[in-house]
Amino acid sequence: MTMTEPAESTLASRAAALFDEYRAGDQARLADLVALLAPILWHTVRAQNVDRGTAEDVLQTTWLSLIRHAGGIHDPRAVLQWLIVSARREAWRVSKVERRVDPRDFEADDIVAPLTDLPDVAAVRNASDSQLWEHVSRLSERCRELLRVIAFADRPDYAAVATALGMPVGSIGPTRGRCLAKLRMQLAADSRWES
Amino acid sequence: MAENRITMDDVAAEAIDDGDVELLSRLAGVWAAADPMPADFVERLQFGITLDALQAEVAELQREDGLIGARGAGTDVQTITFTSSQLTTMITVSSIGSGRVRVDGWAAPGAGLRVELRVQGGSLETVADQDGRFVFEDVPGGFGQFVLRAGDDATPVITPSIDL
Repeated sequence: MTMTEPAESTLASRAAALFDEYRAGDQARLADLVALLAPILWHTVRAQNVDRGTAEDVLQTTWLSLIRHAGGIHDPRAVLQWLIVSARREAWRVSKVERRVDPRDFEADDIVAPLTDLPDVAAVRNASDSQLWEHVSRLSERCRELLRVIAFADRPDYAAVATALGMPVGSIGPTRGRCLAKLRMQLAADSRWES
Repeated sequence: MAENRITMDDVAAEAIDDGDVELLSRLAGVWAAADPMPADFVERLQFGITLDALQAEVAELQREDGLIGARGAGTDVQTITFTSSQLTTMITVSSIGSGRVRVDGWAAPGAGLRVELRVQGGSLETVADQDGRFVFEDVPGGFGQFVLRAGDDATPVITPSIDL
């Protein structure tokens, strides 16, 4: 409610501000940036089917890479996108080296997740969350990746984050896009679901 | 067009509303609970970026022994290889008890390589022998990061931080 509050404070804009201050010589802001973006980047990498330990290594490498390329990022507002693209690419590179297979499957839009992908029942906190989870698990892997990462961003950032994930324009934001639409329609058709 | 049936394309073309945002926020909660970040994750990342990496080459990390990406997987020994354009370094970390470890390393080409091991609250240094071997006999457990210098003119090689 204060007059000085920026019109639109989003994850991407807060990241941009910290990155700007870091590049202006305030080294401590980089640690703040790391903390701010840890959740969205963690889920970006984990959605690539890399194990937890590997995900940590991947993000180490991603941040070191940012430091080395900091000068080459012309627009600080692009730093969140830059990190998502780099983290995904590094996860892909590492899993290729380690498993000799490409874990991604971008083609099959309608493949249903194997049940083993679901988290422990204990992690699902109540009946309504468990219904929600059940519906998410019926989405394609690509849609689940998109929603998983988007969930940790703010509304005005959705389109930019989707682009960083390699999704076509219009996948999400400002319109709902097919992944979210599919989820909404599944929920609407589920008589047990009260929104 | 004959019916008023709402198609998926119609729903997809609508603007994102507060219901969508609420749904996504609930999903974030479920995902965070299902796959939480490791407890020391942010601290490890922050430790790894305090070094000035600007003028350095970052080595790629590869874990051996089938323990790919495994940390604290119930074993007392971990072997990790770091690869950079200048050199390949293999290190073995063995527990010596009381939360301390011994680090044995071998680098190629490594004769005379200056090896710094950054740990939380300090840093240890040694020089590799003629065969490129080096050792840190007693290192506190926790995060560790190597800085390798082949000579005064060579670009230093730094590694991602690891759990010792």
